Amino acid sequence: MSDPTAPAGTDVPVATDGGDTADAEETILSVEHVDSGYGDVQVLDDLSLSLSAGEVACLIGPNGAGKSTVLKTVFGLLRPWSGHVRYRGDDIGGLAPEEIVREGIGYVPQTENVFGNLTIEENLRMGGVARDDDLGPVIDELYDRFPILTEKRNAKARTLSGGQRQVLAFARALVMEPDVLLIDEPSAGLAPNTADEVFEDVLAVNDLGTAILMVEQNARKGLSISDSGYVLDQGTVAYADEADALLDNPEVSRLYLGG
Amino acid sequence: MSVLEYLANGLVFSSIIVLSSIGLSLVYSIANFANFAHGDTMTVGAYTALVTFGFVGTLGAEVLGLPLGFFLALVVGVAVAAAVAVVTHKIVYEPLDVGSIGLLITSIGVAFVYRAIIQLGFGTGFIEFQIPLLRPIEALLPFGIRMTLHDVAIVASAAVLVAGLHALLQYTDLGRKMRATADNPSLARVSGIRTDRIEIWTWVIGAGLAGAGGVFLGLYNNISPRMGFNILLVVFAAVILGGIGSVYGAMAGGFLIGMINQLTPILPRLGQEIPFVPESFGIPIGIEYANAIAFLIMVAVLLVRPSGIAGEEAT
Repeated sequence: MSDPTAPAGTDVPVATDGGDTADAEETILSVEHVDSGYGDVQVLDDLSLSLSAGEVACLIGPNGAGKSTVLKTVFGLLRPWSGHVRYRGDDIGGLAPEEIVREGIGYVPQTENVFGNLTIEENLRMGGVARDDDLGPVIDELYDRFPILTEKRNAKARTLSGGQRQVLAFARALVMEPDVLLIDEPSAGLAPNTADEVFEDVLAVNDLGTAILMVEQNARKGLSISDSGYVLDQGTVAYADEADALLDNPEVSRLYLGG
Repeated sequence: MSVLEYLANGLVFSSIIVLSSIGLSLVYSIANFANFAHGDTMTVGAYTALVTFGFVGTLGAEVLGLPLGFFLALVVGVAVAAAVAVVTHKIVYEPLDVGSIGLLITSIGVAFVYRAIIQLGFGTGFIEFQIPLLRPIEALLPFGIRMTLHDVAIVASAAVLVAGLHALLQYTDLGRKMRATADNPSLARVSGIRTDRIEIWTWVIGAGLAGAGGVFLGLYNNISPRMGFNILLVVFAAVILGGIGSVYGAMAGGFLIGMINQLTPILPRLGQEIPFVPESFGIPIGIEYANAIAFLIMVAVLLVRPSGIAGEEAT
């Protein structure tokens, strides 16, 4: 259904080896031939992709291509109609989000990604409900990493600015110390310099060894901080390559990066 | 009757409304529908306590003019109201995928079922707890307040329950999870909160408080199969006034509606009670309009603050 000339299609995607971490070869998360959608409306059509441990992968593509749907399907907010979602080899397709978070995957939704009526501290505590150990040390570590949260720890989250909210949304997901973090459009609705700061935070999270699968509307920016990239079109992967290669690909550039 | 006495009555009546409003708002915030069986859950609590009191009524020393057996009956009434609500949630509401309006209408049916079962067992008449009526507290009479120890027991018990709920919501893990789930159910699941369990706890607490409200309503007035349903509209007014879905709003709304309801008799002789107003001033309206006035005030507040007193601040 997509561009027949696409170099990488719906088959097993190319192995991506853009990560600079030692274990970048190991596939930690894979989506295999997945169909999915909302109600009766199919969005994903035989979509496959894979994420190596420690890498940053970016999903780009036009509106309605199914980028966010991929994340929702991986995280159990949508059930795959067919195909498999594998995490460390186990099929997690169809598990509920509250179980998937216990497997070691985190998810930062695009909107409404903080508990507005709870304080910053309470938001972080909610991020760790699935942990059995004391949350104190891990939350303190996050306060060290994101000092803006420390200043406002007793403020309600709805009093935060857009960029601060995004930081809190990351931090909430990081309390679980996930091995994979799914991030839906981290820069949505942010001013350009705030967006840059958020991208820096994405890289900082990746430096901890967390693999990141990110959806980003700002395709050039997203790819520039990623190891690998997937161009989605009409619910399937039209191009898959290392992020730099996609940025240099004239066809991708013309069709999806605005020339 | 003095204004102070009306205020004291208002405080007692408000305590009952507050207990029941909190439960209704709490359930709304998490189960996401207006539960019309909430009033009949109060009735379930009242009848359960009545039956239990029949067995244990003579037990123990007296506290605030009530035998300890009454408090045991209260606990059993609360527990049964909670259990009935959880079972209803599990076998009726949870399996239904009909949206919030569908659930609202379903809950009206559930209310009929509760009431029909109670009528089968106890008939349609009025019953009272077999507790001797008390004389007003002597110390308060000089202030023009006729209030019994039973009234004090109602207000004190409600205060303890409200304070307990506040502590639960603010300082316990369960409470934080309940607030998080009410705030954003999808993000709650994404965070790892098992929201189906939170929903059960919400029913336990919401229906338990309704059960307590029902027992106190029975002590304050009397017990009948329609007691809960008859008061439900006032409770809804309180919840909507407070901002539906907000527990603290329900406390404020319940207090205001309960007070207004009991202060209605003052309206015809306002001039005599308020300084700097002509003695003859008054709003000629009978106490049979007490509920209507509560609703008028609710509408007036909503015109100014469409989302209620607590507004968007859920829970």
